Parts: sequence; structure tokens; C-alpha cells
Amino acid sequence: MNKKIFILFFFILCCAAAMAQKEYFGKILDSTGNPVPGATINLKNSKIGTTSGPDGSFKIMAKENASIVVTAVGYSKAEMPLGNDENVNITLKNTNKYLEEVVVTALGVKREKRNLTFSSQEVKGDELLRAKDPNVINAIAGKVSGVQITNSSGTPGGSARILVRGATSIFGNNEALIVLDGVPIDNSETGAIASGPGSNRLVDIDPSIIESVNVLKGAAATALYGSAGARGVVIITTKSGQGYKKPTVTLSSDLAFDNALYPDVQSKYAQGDRGVYFNGENKKTSSSWGPLIDTLRVNGQPVQKRNQLKDFFKTGITTNNTISVAGSNPKSGYFLSYSYFDQQGTVPKNDFTRHTIFTKFNTKIGDKFSATIQFNYSNSTRHTVPEGYILESPIWTIFTAPISWNPRPYLNPDGTQRVYRFSRNNPYWVLDNVFTKGDVNRFLPIATFTYNPLKWLNITERIGADIYTEQDKYYEALNSVANPKGVLVDRTSNFRQFNHDFIIDARKQFGDFDIDLLVGNNIFSSYGQTVQGRGVGLSVDNFYNLANAATQTYSESYSLSRKVGFYTQANIDYKRLLILSLTGRYDGSSVLSKDKSFYPYGSAAASFVFSELLASPSSFLNFGKLRVSYATVGNDNVAPYSLNTPYYAANVGGIAFPFQGQNGFLLSQTLGNPNLKNELAKEFEIGLETRILNNKVGLEVSYFDKNISDGIIPGVSISAATGYTGTTVNSARLQTKGVEVLINATPVKSKNFKWDAVFTFTKLNNKVVSLYGDIQQLSIGFTEAIVGQPYGVIFGDRFKRASDGQLIIDAKGRPVKDDTQGILGNITPHWTAGITNTFSYRNWSFSFFFDMKQGGDIQNNVDGYGYFYGTPKATENRQPRVVAGISETDNKPNTVAADAEDYFRRLNSVLEAVIQDGTYIKLRNATLGYTFGSALISKTPFKSATIVVTGRNLWIYRPHFTGSDPEASSFGSANGSQGIYSFSTPTSRTIDFGLKLTF
Amino acid sequence: MKKLIIFAITASLFFTGGCKKFIDVNDDPNSLLNVQEGLILSPVELNISSNIAAGNVSIIVNHWMQNIALNQPVPNSGTYLQNNVDFDGDWSNIYVTGLNNLNILNQKAGANGNSNYTGIAKILTAYCLGVATDLWGDVPYSQAFKGSSNFTPGYDKQEDIYKELQILLDNGIADINAAKGKGVGSDDYFYNGHMTEWKKLAYTLKARYYIHLTKAPGYNAATQADLALTALQNGMQSNDDDLAFNYPGDAGHENPMYLTFLPVSTLVLSAHVVDGFKTRNDPRLSKMIGLSVSGMYNGRPIGSTDLGNLDDYSLPGPFYGSPTSSVYIVTYSEALFIKAEATFLKSGATAAEPIYQAAIKSHMDLLGISAASATAYIASRGPLTSSNALQLIMEEKSTADFLSLENFNDWRRTGFPPLTKVPNAISEIPRRVIYPESEIIANPQTLQSAKLTDKVWWDQ
Repeated sequence: MNKKIFILFFFILCCAAAMAQKEYFGKILDSTGNPVPGATINLKNSKIGTTSGPDGSFKIMAKENASIVVTAVGYSKAEMPLGNDENVNITLKNTNKYLEEVVVTALGVKREKRNLTFSSQEVKGDELLRAKDPNVINAIAGKVSGVQITNSSGTPGGSARILVRGATSIFGNNEALIVLDGVPIDNSETGAIASGPGSNRLVDIDPSIIESVNVLKGAAATALYGSAGARGVVIITTKSGQGYKKPTVTLSSDLAFDNALYPDVQSKYAQGDRGVYFNGENKKTSSSWGPLIDTLRVNGQPVQKRNQLKDFFKTGITTNNTISVAGSNPKSGYFLSYSYFDQQGTVPKNDFTRHTIFTKFNTKIGDKFSATIQFNYSNSTRHTVPEGYILESPIWTIFTAPISWNPRPYLNPDGTQRVYRFSRNNPYWVLDNVFTKGDVNRFLPIATFTYNPLKWLNITERIGADIYTEQDKYYEALNSVANPKGVLVDRTSNFRQFNHDFIIDARKQFGDFDIDLLVGNNIFSSYGQTVQGRGVGLSVDNFYNLANAATQTYSESYSLSRKVGFYTQANIDYKRLLILSLTGRYDGSSVLSKDKSFYPYGSAAASFVFSELLASPSSFLNFGKLRVSYATVGNDNVAPYSLNTPYYAANVGGIAFPFQGQNGFLLSQTLGNPNLKNELAKEFEIGLETRILNNKVGLEVSYFDKNISDGIIPGVSISAATGYTGTTVNSARLQTKGVEVLINATPVKSKNFKWDAVFTFTKLNNKVVSLYGDIQQLSIGFTEAIVGQPYGVIFGDRFKRASDGQLIIDAKGRPVKDDTQGILGNITPHWTAGITNTFSYRNWSFSFFFDMKQGGDIQNNVDGYGYFYGTPKATENRQPRVVAGISETDNKPNTVAADAEDYFRRLNSVLEAVIQDGTYIKLRNATLGYTFGSALISKTPFKSATIVVTGRNLWIYRPHFTGSDPEASSFGSANGSQGIYSFSTPTSRTIDFGLKLTF
Repeated sequence: MKKLIIFAITASLFFTGGCKKFIDVNDDPNSLLNVQEGLILSPVELNISSNIAAGNVSIIVNHWMQNIALNQPVPNSGTYLQNNVDFDGDWSNIYVTGLNNLNILNQKAGANGNSNYTGIAKILTAYCLGVATDLWGDVPYSQAFKGSSNFTPGYDKQEDIYKELQILLDNGIADINAAKGKGVGSDDYFYNGHMTEWKKLAYTLKARYYIHLTKAPGYNAATQADLALTALQNGMQSNDDDLAFNYPGDAGHENPMYLTFLPVSTLVLSAHVVDGFKTRNDPRLSKMIGLSVSGMYNGRPIGSTDLGNLDDYSLPGPFYGSPTSSVYIVTYSEALFIKAEATFLKSGATAAEPIYQAAIKSHMDLLGISAASATAYIASRGPLTSSNALQLIMEEKSTADFLSLENFNDWRRTGFPPLTKVPNAISEIPRRVIYPESEIIANPQTLQSAKLTDKVWWDQ
């Protein structure tokens, strides 16, 4: 039989050779009739080939009676003989597309998902764009299990924090490594001169150029990335021209309206104290403990009631316009994109704008050599006012402003500020007189060359750089309360990072074994320099040149770190049943002690695809894989120059040297540790991946146990009697165990209707095992690391309680503060989950995304201050209250009613009173889209047109939290900024209208 | 193919060799690993003035001494609410910025044979250590400043610290007398390198630390008075000898007291201190007490439950509270008051009277008050008698030591000026400072459980 076919084939081929060529055209379709873009169409036994366009169409020159072979990811290979008819439509059979899917893993190596020996989760570009967030980090929030994302505030361009599988370092960088097309790029938070969040620099990347984001979670997945990979890796793959045969222009345009979400405030009582009205003019006070405003009469006249929040915040308007051109031929492809993002914040004069230009060009040079050259340029600018509880923050004086006071005009006739209270600026004065302005110009060039000298040998060289300059300016005009003489800061930072990888990859089949061996070398260099001029004593208003300042201080900082790494990986695949993966890496880092600068580590992992053992395909179990891995990763998570104890230019009590013609230097307060070595992460992981019910439901479950030892604690506090306040040590131990679940389901799929659902679930148990010596506790900003507790517990003043937990009440009926402080909460949630549902019916699509967090405490600093001022909603009840508890005076149940003002002011002095459970369920995103049918647009120049309406933050259920959005950390993404909701720009509810056209 | 492999091997070998060199970049071009003595001395002197003499802890003890009030409802420092963390910064200003840099300065200058610098380092070490022990009692010293070789330095008994203070001062004087090596110049903000001034300071400090022990267990007031009087023979002789830090007062270079009392802090003067000036009809009122925005000499009653109008309260006046004011750390007036007290203890009120008057006059003189006004004021205060002498000397001393840490030491020693605890006080008036949180965490010691109302050794 086989022989016969072969002979027949041979015959046909011989005949075909004699025949003339003609052009065949057609479409590649899937089993439901939808086009399959990007399919590879090759003439059988020939190198000639092409790829299908976005509509599945292709053209190919072939001799009659030749055969074409079609391959596409997610479909089984199809072969079709050509004949007389030039129009050829080929229907591909869907295979298990989830598992045939190719994902980008460490170092840009593409691997089939089914064969992976570790956990990773991919988010497609379309899914990212659906979030309508300029920040890629925010766009994946809730979508990936094992990943915790914390937004900072609603300020445009504000930073977001990404933790993969919990914290790995007490004070060091805990955020995931970001890799763009194989090159690590910077995602540090920059640009915050005044209080409030800066921007995490991933904000410079336009999400619309992203093809996919793949999150590598465990050490087994990331070990090849070396040290930085221990924190998890976010691999961003950009779009290319591949799959677009004809030049295709895509235009997309978004217009969005942001409405700030306000905290709950009281709206009944006027400014004043003990029920007595203060008018804020000749009688000033910070409190709103005045009389009821509705019945208040001044000289017989009512006092106008104001909604200070509504008056202050405006509707933010965001526009986002993108144009891209893509095209390719079998030899090369190109993708060009320009986008302009402009967000005008809900706080007047706050904005974030970004221009990005991205180009990517790939070409084959001869048969064996190919190159991809790409370049991204972005210009991001940001204009913000100070946030938080800093004295300059206008949000503070808006959230706590009396409802009886008119904040305008903000100047008195004599030119001084008009204020309702002492020691704070008028919030409207701030808008005109205090700002931070940041401007970042960033270049990301990447060149990748691959050389295939032999069929089984692949040599890749990748060179990438990340170069940016940031210019920041802070201006605080004369007569600001905190700095009456005015302040001007001018800061310029230069950042340059270079990465070079050289990888040799050999892959060959030996009988039943498919063996892939990779060796490589990495060279990495990161350089940063910041120069800053700070001036005080301004003489001219609105003159933002440092020459305006009477006293100017110059400072300069510099950092250079370098790394080299040698790595190897072996993948041994036995009959697609058993896969063994081994990696090893040997790193050298400049920041460690010279005799400890080189350190090895590695991983071993195995997958067992047990569904291969099934005798016949089962309709219940379509795929099943069990994987197990153990990995160690050495990490050098410490800033350069931590080995020495240098002298630094002195700044004493706010006076910077040189002073009075005399220069001055003081010994560093942080003692260098010349013996610093790498820390070590060890991670065990076990996972199960299955697809069942005719591939309708996919389940992935991972359990991991990660332990950090020799953890570097930069600046661990030591007794000042040693002469230093801190030093850097190798002693922290942290443990994180967790379970991650991902369920993909397609409950309904018919020709016209499809329902997809994705569910993610994460539960992490994190514990600080040891710190340093006998030290049991270290402060991390607003939270603490305490031995035996999760990383980031809230610690502070608590209520005094009887042995049975009842509050102790004083003689005035108020709860009593305990003499000692204690643990009040834990910022890490008990679990998080997300559900995305996508429905498509003919040309309509509808998707909604719920994001859930159970637990995770947060300090509600707005209420904290508010209880003193009498502004939170809770203070609207001003009846005397009998607080349940035991009386301090007679040890009997309390019967004394506390005055409301006294009661709330007591709460103000006890941190425990404002620690709130941050549990939430959020309708983070809902999208309704309509794609115009070909009948409608066939007479237009457009190939496709889509209209999308997106709502963000449409609904938030927050049973315990009294601020507007429990998903906040007001001061940014740093370790020390977590766990506090303060007076920052509120997050918004957004409606976004989007239009996308291709032609 | 072979060629390629050979190339790859050669290249990687070349690489490995170059690796160590490639990553040898861990030296910061923006920081120094060695500096001259004078470059350390200048910021250390500024630290002593801005962060210690006029620092956070000075402001707090002057709440307790009822000079400063916070315009916020109670509880606060005025009603003796303090947390250990309140003193973290002070401890580090004294131990890290102060003592450790002085220790390095002393070592460097010792190695370089510059005895003027070692002399100054020792005298300022005595000042900083003296401040620490007066506030906290037992403090680390003999095992301190050893970096990583001793992360938990033990605490020395206050009595031993006091012995060390005298040794430091004696050695400082001896070093200056040796006059070896480099001269000190404009790097010395305090005395511009005039070493005779430093010696006078050292002797005055010796007297200060002798007189502190008037009621210390096992010490005799008369003996301490004798020792103080002997030291003062070589101590400060005029207001020109004062250890004072002058601030130019331009933006960014203001006197720290001025900055402390900027309206944002809501710190004001207390009714207690303002009323005292008014009651005594003190001619220094307008120099030492500022007019409120609303044009009054008016202080805030400490312990008040309500918020007052900030515009109605006085701040420190132009002599101590303006941007260009100096911070006075050790003064000729103080030396005279020590002399007056010691003389009273040794020889009685009559003998002390002229010294007491000279002390008041020297301070009036410093403030530019006319001799006639000074004389009239002294007369109004009445003559010293055996029963009122200590009180009058201490009251006047506290005026001359306005907002200084020394007020707290003198009150604890003598009980003068007399104070009663404020309304809504949460304890008796503090008699010491509690140990800082940072120290309790990093260097735990049983004695750190001391409460504000516990007494240090010399206060028993």
C-alpha cells in the first residue's frame, strides 16, 4: 500500500516537474470556518513557502499537481495535492491548541507548552489591551495566578508593584524581572521627588506593541536568567510583521472618561469644635466637629454646604491613538507602530503623556542566517502634585476639608494664602504653585542574529540595550507653609543597561530520544548616574531655573554593576512521554565580595505526560501531565558599593556642605560588609496539567515551596553604639509556600456562539524565618518583617484588652491604648482569584472580569487622620456611645457613654482602629465589542472595523474598607510603601470608547 | 565546523580570563574612602549644634521643663506621652554622626600626629557622651564604635561614664598643650582654630560635669563644688568664649530653632515661660519672647485639651528664634552660674551674690540689655539668702540657658525652677529619657525597660 502510494507520488512529481507553474490562491480555515492567520504553507519537498495573512488568505506559485503542506500552531498538519482549480481552501483540524501552543521561555527560547517542566502563564496582547491601562503591569492584574499586583494611586502614570510568588528579600528588590524580547529592561520606580508614587518604568512601553506576556514563576523556569530571575520573570514578546502578507495598517483610537472614586466622608457637620462653629476665616481649625450645617445660621443666614470632593476632582480624559503597519514576505517582515497616549488626571493639572515609536524588522540572509532588528523610542512626561499626608498634599486638605468653608479664592487680598486651618496650604493654591514634572526619553534597541549552520544546530547572538534619561523638576512656590522660602529641585538621571547573550542550541533526535542541548554566555552591565541641584530661597515666582534659588546644593550619585554568566540546559524528551530538563548556571557579579563573586546553581525538572499511556484517545482525559522540579538560584540582590564604608558629602540638619566656605564629609552610617556573598533561593515545585471533556476544560495546578537562605539584608539596623545605624548581612531566611490554580474552559462553542472562561486562584503562605542574629523585627516602611510572621505585617499601637479580648474602657467611656505595641494585621491576602468570561456571538463580543482578594490588611490613614478631624463617614454619628468593654475604674462592664469627639480622637491615637481588612470583589473590567461584518465594510477601504466600549472599576465590593478602593498603596511600589491608603489621588471608574480599523 | 568549535572554545577561554577584570567595578567614584581631619570636624560641629544642642530631644525635654507647648490636644510630649521610637534619631545623632565620627577623627589625627585635632575630638566626645549619659544614664561607651567586631556593645555605668568624661577632657587639654602637627583653622566653626578657647571650653565642661554630681550617691556636694571652682579658674572668662554656632540665616542655612518653630510644627512657647518673663518684668522679654501674630506676649497652657489659635501664641524671640540666631551650647553665663552655685555650696549666699549678679549681667550683656536695666532687674529679684539662693540661681540660670538641655539636668539636681505636673499629665514629670526603639531591637539590655519617671544614677 505504502509502496504503491510512493510510486504514484513519484510519478506525479515527475510529471509535475514537466508542467508549468501557476498561481494558486485560497484561504486557510479552521473547523468552524474562521480564518487561520500565520499558517505556514510550503510546497512539499521544497523550500518554497509562504504564510497566510490575517484573513487566512495565501498565494503561492506552484506547478500543477504539486502538493502543499500546511502547518499552523494549534492545528494538525494538512497536506493537499493541487490541481486545475487555482482556488484552494484548506480546512485545518484543531488540535489541542492549548498544548501545541508554543511559548517563549527563558532567554527567548520557544518551547511547546505541553513539554514544559515548569509553571508559566501567558497573557495575549489582545487581553492586555482590553484592560485599557497604559501600564503593562496593571494590565495583567488578576489574570495570572501566583502574581500579586498592587496599584499605587490613581495619579496618571503612577507606579504598580508586581510580586511573583511573594517576597524574596527583606529590603532588596522583590519585583519580577522584566524581559523584553530576550533583553532585561529596567522597571524601577522613578520620578518621585515629592511625596507620592513615581512611575514604574515599564510605563514607557506601549501595550499595543505586545504580542504576548508570559510569566515564568518558579525558580526552575527562571534559573537560566540568573540572579534576577529568582524573583520571577515577566517575558514580553513584541509583535512582528509575521503573518501579514500585504502591508496592513491598523488604526486604533480610544477616548476614556475617568471619574474619581471618593472615600466615604461625612456631610452633615460644619467646621468647628465641640459643636461650636468656626468660620475658617477669623476662627480657624482643622476640625469638622462643629454644628449640624443644615440648621446652622450665621447672622440669620444659612451656611452653604459644599461637596469638597466633587468640587475639586474633575472628569479625567484619556486619549490613546495608535497607528501601526505590518507586512511580510517569506524572507522578511516588518512592524512599525506609533502611539500617543494622553491622560489628563482627575486632579486638575495632573497628567501623563507618552509618545512611543516601535519598529521591528526581521529578515533572512541566505538560508542559514537571519536577523531581527528592533527599536523602541518613548517619551513619557508626567505632571503631578504631592500626595499622601505630606504637608503640601492638596488631597489631604480636600479629603478633610470642612463642608462649610469655601476654599476659593485661595489668596487673601494681601497676597497671603487663604486657609481654613493652620499649617497646611490651600489645596487650590497648591495646584497653581507646587508640582513635580518628569520627562523620560528612552531607547530600547535590540538586535538578534541567528545562524543555522546545520539543521540541528542553532547559534543565536542577542544584543540589547536600555537607555534613558530622566529629567525631573519639583517646584514649590514662596509662602508654602512647609517651605516658606520656596523649593526648586532639578534632577537629571542617566540610565544605561547593556545585555549580551550568545547561545548555542543543538537539537537532535536519537531514536526515541529528542535531545536539546543549549550552552550560552551572558554579559550584563547596568549604569546609572543622577545629578541633582536643590535650591531654596526663591526670589521670582514661576521661574523654574535653579538660578532662582538663593542657596543651591549639588549632589551626584553613580552606580555601575556588571555580571557575567555561563549557562547550560539539557532537555531530554523520551517519546513525548517523559521530559527531563537540567539547567546550570555559573554567575559572576561585581557587587559581591571579590572572593565570592562567582557562584554556581542549577535546576532539575521532569514532566510525565501520562495521557500518552492511554491506549486510545479518551474523550474524557485528553491530556495529562505531572511535573516536578527542584531548583536553586543564586542571587546578588544588593546595590553596588555595599562592601565599603565610605565618607559621603555631609548634610546635617538640613544644611548641605559646603557650608560657609567649608566642605565636610562624614563616615557612612551604613557599615560596609566586605564578606558579602550571594543569597540562595531553593524551590521545589510539583504540578498537574490536564485537559478534559474534549478539551473543553483545562486545569493547571501548581504547588511550590520556596526557601531563601543567606538572604541579603541591605542596611539591617544595628545598634548605633557600634558607630553605624545599619550594615548589610547575609542572614535572612524566608519561606513561601503556595498553590496556584488556572482553569481554562470553553463551556459552549458553536458556529455563532462561544463562551470562554478563565479562572485563576492563588494562595500564598509566606513566613520570615529569621532575620539577623537575635533581631526579631525590622521595619519596612509602613510594615514590618517579624520572625515567624508573614512578610509585611502591620505593627503598632493597639487597644488595651482584658484577657478575654474585651476592650478596656476608661472613665470617660473611651477605649484605652495599650502600653505596648503589637501586630495589627498582615498585608498579604489570604487568597486572590480572578474570573474572566468572554462571550462571542456573531459579530458581538462581551467580556467581563472579576478580580477578588480575600484578606490583606491595609492602614486606612485617611480615616486615621479623619477621626481626629471628624470627617470620615463614621463620624457622622455624633451621639454619645457606650463602647462595649470592661471599665478600667471598676472592672465591670462599661456603662459610661463616650462623647463622639472624644471617642474618635481616641481612635485617632491608636493605629489598630484604622487597620482594615482589604477584602474586595471588583468588576475590574467589562468590554462590549462589535466587529463590522464584511458585507458592511466591503465597500469601504477597510479590511476590518471594531468598536469596543470598556468599563473599568465598575463595581467594587469592599465589606470592611472605608476608603474608595482597597487596591492601593499610596506611596508607590517600593517595599516600604506597602500597606497604606493615605491621601493619594483616588482610583477612578472609567468608561472607554475604542475604535479599531485595519486597511 | 571544527573551526567553529575551536573558535568557540578560544573565545570562551578568553572570556573567562577577562571576566574577573570585567566585573571588578565595585568602587564608587562618588564616595571617598579617606578624608582629612578638618573635613570631618566641620560637619561634626554642625551636628552638635543643630542635631544635639538644638535637636529633637532638646525640644522634648523643654516640653517637660514647661518652656515649649504643642498646639494640639493632649496627650503629647507636654503631658509626657513618649514612645521609645521618639529618641531613635537623637541616639543616632549622638552615637553615629557625633561620637563615631569623633572617634574616627581622633584616630586619624592621632595617627597623623595632629594633636590639636585629637584635643578637639576628645573635648567634643566628652560633650556628646555627657549629653547621652545625662539623658539616658547608663550608656555604651567602652565597648562602642567597634563596627562589626561588636554588634551588641554592653552599657557602662553612668558613674564610670562620668569618670571617663573628666579623663577625656583632661586628655583633650593635654593634647592641645602638646600642640603638635597641623593647626586648626576655618574648619572649626566654633573657635576658628583658637586653641586657648578650646581649653577654656574643656575646663568649663569639667566644671559642668563636676557640678552635675552634687547629689550623686557617694559624692559630696561640697567636694564637687570645689572641683568645679578649680576647673573654672581656667574656664570661660567672657561671652566671647561661648561655645556657640552662628547661622548665616539665608534660605537653607537657618538657625534650627527658627525652623523648629515654623507654623507647620504647631510648636509655640508655653504660658508658663511667657508668664514668667512678664511676672518678673524681665527686660529680656522682647529679645527672648516673640510677639504673636496677633501682637501679644502669650503662651499656650500645656495640657490643654483644645486647639488654640496659632496666631495668638508667642514663639521664641529674635535672640534665640530668628533665622540668624546662634545656638548657645556652653556659655560664659553658665560658667558663672556654676561658679555661683558652687560658691553658695561652699561659702554661702553672700559669697555667691556677686557671682550670681555677674552671671545675670553677662547674659543681659550678651542680649544687649543696658547695664541699668540689668541692675534694676537684679534688684527686683532681691538679694540671695541661704534659703532662696539655690532657687534664684537656678531660675536665672534657666533663663540664661533658654531652651538648653542643661535646664533638665539642673531641675533634676536641684528641683529648681519649681515645676508642678501639668493638667492631664499621664505620669509624673519625667526624670530621664527612655531608651530608643532601635537600640532595644538591635542591642537588647535589661536596663532598657527604664521608664520616663525612673531616675538616673546621679539623680537618686
